[in-house]
Amino acid sequence: MTNHWVDLKNSDCVLAIGCNPAENHPASMAWINRARDERGAKLLVVDPRLTRTAAVADLYAPLRPGTDIAFVGGLIHYILENNLFHREYLVHYTNASFLVHPDFKGPADLDGYFSGYDPAKRAYDRTTWAYQLDEQGNPKADPTLESPQCVFQILKRHYARYTPEMVERVCGTPRDQFLALAAEYAKTGQPGKAGAVLYAMGQTQHTVGSQNVRVLAILQLLLGNIGLPGGGVNALRGESNVQGSTDMGLLYHTLTSYLATPTAAAHPSLKAYLERQVKAAGKGYSKNTPNFLISLLKAYWGDAATEANDYCYDYLPKVSGDCSWISLFHAIEAGTIQGLWLIGQNPAVSGPNSRFERQALGKLKWMVIHELFETETAAFWKAPGVDPATVQTEVFLLPAADALEKAGSIVTSGRLIQWRPQVAARPELAQEDIWILDRIYRALKKRYQAEGGALPEPIVQLAWDYGDPPAATAVAKEINGFYTRDVKDASATAAKGDLLSTFAQLRADGSTACGAWVYAGYYYPRDDGTGVILPSCMRRGTKDPGGLGIYPYWGWVWPANRRIIYNRCSADSQGRPWAKDKALIWWDGSKWTGYDVPDFGVTTDPAKPGGDDAFIMHPDLKAALFSGLNEGPLPEHYEPVESPARNLLSGVQSNPVVKLWDAARGQPIGDNLGDLSQFPIVATTFRVTEHWQAGAMSRNLPWLVEVQPEMFVEMSPELAREKGIASGQTVIVRSARGEIRAVAVITRRYRTLRLWDAASNGFREVHQVGMPWHFGWAGLATGASANDLTPHVGDGNTMIPEYKAFLVDIRRA
Amino acid sequence: MTKAILIDTTRCTACHGCQVACKQWNDLPAEETHNEGSYQNPIRLSAQTWTLVQMREVEYQGKLYWSFLKRQCMQCLHPACVSACPVGAMHRTPEGIVVYDDSRCIGCRYCMTACPFRIPRFEWDKPLGYIRKCHFCYDRQAEGLPPACVKTCPSGALQFGEREEMIATAEARLKAQPSRYYPHLYGKEEGGGTSVLILSALPFDLLGLPTLTSEPVAVPQSALAPFEYLGQPTLGTEPVTQLNDELAHVGTPAIALGVTAILAGMQWYGRRRARLAQEATGHAHTTKERKP
Repeated sequence: MTNHWVDLKNSDCVLAIGCNPAENHPASMAWINRARDERGAKLLVVDPRLTRTAAVADLYAPLRPGTDIAFVGGLIHYILENNLFHREYLVHYTNASFLVHPDFKGPADLDGYFSGYDPAKRAYDRTTWAYQLDEQGNPKADPTLESPQCVFQILKRHYARYTPEMVERVCGTPRDQFLALAAEYAKTGQPGKAGAVLYAMGQTQHTVGSQNVRVLAILQLLLGNIGLPGGGVNALRGESNVQGSTDMGLLYHTLTSYLATPTAAAHPSLKAYLERQVKAAGKGYSKNTPNFLISLLKAYWGDAATEANDYCYDYLPKVSGDCSWISLFHAIEAGTIQGLWLIGQNPAVSGPNSRFERQALGKLKWMVIHELFETETAAFWKAPGVDPATVQTEVFLLPAADALEKAGSIVTSGRLIQWRPQVAARPELAQEDIWILDRIYRALKKRYQAEGGALPEPIVQLAWDYGDPPAATAVAKEINGFYTRDVKDASATAAKGDLLSTFAQLRADGSTACGAWVYAGYYYPRDDGTGVILPSCMRRGTKDPGGLGIYPYWGWVWPANRRIIYNRCSADSQGRPWAKDKALIWWDGSKWTGYDVPDFGVTTDPAKPGGDDAFIMHPDLKAALFSGLNEGPLPEHYEPVESPARNLLSGVQSNPVVKLWDAARGQPIGDNLGDLSQFPIVATTFRVTEHWQAGAMSRNLPWLVEVQPEMFVEMSPELAREKGIASGQTVIVRSARGEIRAVAVITRRYRTLRLWDAASNGFREVHQVGMPWHFGWAGLATGASANDLTPHVGDGNTMIPEYKAFLVDIRRA
Repeated sequence: MTKAILIDTTRCTACHGCQVACKQWNDLPAEETHNEGSYQNPIRLSAQTWTLVQMREVEYQGKLYWSFLKRQCMQCLHPACVSACPVGAMHRTPEGIVVYDDSRCIGCRYCMTACPFRIPRFEWDKPLGYIRKCHFCYDRQAEGLPPACVKTCPSGALQFGEREEMIATAEARLKAQPSRYYPHLYGKEEGGGTSVLILSALPFDLLGLPTLTSEPVAVPQSALAPFEYLGQPTLGTEPVTQLNDELAHVGTPAIALGVTAILAGMQWYGRRRARLAQEATGHAHTTKERKP
């Protein structure tokens, strides 16, 4: 999130799209309710069905899964047409005024493509997406926002097609409901008002997922809602510590703190890496990448990492292609990957096209899995219908301690890091993950030292000593960062081992080590507001100067304990807060001061040049309305890969850069895609409050099983009538990838869609259904897995699977 | 002095936290359930389920609502169950909590019939079953703690405090945001007042709560009424026990006197006939001489 959970109480209007906070983050409703009670804030919900969040919303608008860009593009069109954007904010803080390359063309001109598309490569050459530059190399700009080639005018032309009528035809949202919601949310464009956008997997799990999030950012920038209390683009993370896990680089394409993973092609050496990344950083703070990367290498290899050996950079694995989830399972299927190490993950239930993925698991030579229960993945070799004699995989199931049975920190969606002690005893054999990994490491190191091997040094030379048994606190100190030797110079005096208090102390000369640069200072001892000194993330101080819910003494927020990022934008170009009742930071004549840590040079005068360069991480120090991703610099509506309708916005049906996998195409289990002729119903997947993810933890708890005992599929009464289905009956849901049984929940909360049919030049009805994906064959409450139906296609930038929009058919069992 | 729970259904999102917290605090077992086409499970209260979230899709003023209402013992100020209980197993503590005493319960189930909200449930699976219902976490209240359901509620839908304070809070909300609520606080006066107070966006009858009129109803329900949250009796504002009270205070003496009078009259008539018969025949008529 750019903001944080408690901050929702400061909002004047909360727009929840592609998410379901009431069901999946119930505690968040406390803050949303405070905003409704104390500020008269409205809750607006956009969702294919009327969820428990929509049940308490002031306005609810239905939309077809996979049409978010059309919908939000419609909001953008409405705001631009009616001049409801925040002009001063746009001119000062965004690239709205920047002039784009004269040869740039967009989908309105090229019937769905941007300029530079190569159909053979299914990729874009971005040359024509660049800015026009002046002699100093800075983007040319027109602050009046009138030049036809400025970003603002390009944006306006691009979204001219996204009329309320188009929204009705593409999304199935009745025009009056769309306009009522647009009018309400657009009010937050007034200076002094703040609207918060909440989103989650309903936005990201699409082949246009990255652009879905980009279009929300554009919406918020137009309304001037970024960097203010009660505003922001706020991702509702799906697990209690997934924020921590991505911060720690568990995604293949990043190291810790979102530093780029080195690739074989672009980063063959430390010099090449640093040059390339510093160049890409432009004027942004990431130009300090040398400090961050070298400190990380020192954290990994300690004394073995020296200037002479490029700090062991050559020991880092270099990526040579896509290694995201779908790619991994294709590699497993093909036999390229022979072993799989799973830590608290259940691909047999949670992976897309899960029949394919379960089958692939059988190709592995070995699997190690840390788990609390014997899940569908741990026991894949003896799943119903599988003869164990046919499976050659050796499976090691290691009993693991759960979150309450070990000490450590977790990070919320709002970047808040809270340390938690162990509060429950473990079952006899269960161990913490760090104990397991520590034991494995020591054993590996011993064997490498005794027997040698292909490349022992990267393992053997790791700086790895966290105690015996290993202590999470020791790991925390390394993540926080410390001085690797005594330092005494103009910028610092410190002793070897001293903890860092801020990432500003990081150096590129090997004198600092830091596991994650944005966390620098999170374990540094600080006052909790009552005089008690603790590692910052352990603090539970409840003072809240300013009353905005900042709570600066509670835990520690990355980066730098800054709760609302880009908060320079909470004030105007002179440094005066837009909203007097929600003043966050302000310029007092000589420095920035207030209730949050300024996301800006503390002594940078707003009146001087650079005084409005608010987005310090960006190459141009301005927020980007226009910004290149793989499928374009502006979000454009494309249909999901399995779609019930022809794309009405252009002649390009689906995202033209998406990889279409084709392993075992045509086989009963394979990368099969279906179309309307066999699968006329739009489907989506979702989560419910009572169960969690792949269900191991919740489907084994009797009190939760009592509330949600069975796999079900929701549908409208019209569809039920058409198919002769009664409520509570078992039905079969089928896609091109498989079929499953589920209990029918017939509800008016699901509407039949009315979509425009170009062929007949009129509206036609399309049915839709939705299913929770929590169920599997193992545990107390069992049921079919919805992911048996989902497709093996992913986003054009991240490969996140398109779990949220596909086609099915349905019949009585 | 009596504590109350305020349920603001406009804040409730049916997370079921209250339902699970009650089970956990009271060590109640999970029931075996099936998805019968709804997110509401268990479908009904029982001896093992003392509270549940009722979930109903309702059309009102042209809009579809998915309404949520936590159902449990309403903790009436003048409980019908207490009045109906012949042995005083159901009773109201000095703090105003309606509880039951297993050691006194004879399993007659009069309380089940008397309750207009259909709350007390019987342990049908036991040969000698007892009645079970929400006891307002009297054990937690004794330690100054709120009920488990209130403590768990994440959204602020449930609040707990002095009844007068909860009424004042509710009425302030009705005044501050009138477009958000149906203009009534349920439980302030219904049946003589309850300690579970409810605010809603919808009319309360659409939620299955008994509708009020100012007219009393003699007998709430026949014994054949279904024990579900469907079609409920109409009640006046006088305490439900008053209906029984009237029967007791007026009817009992009336019946006693009336029956006594009839029996006395029959005695007098019988004796007079015997006396007249004796006078006619000169013999004493005794019952001994009257052979069947």
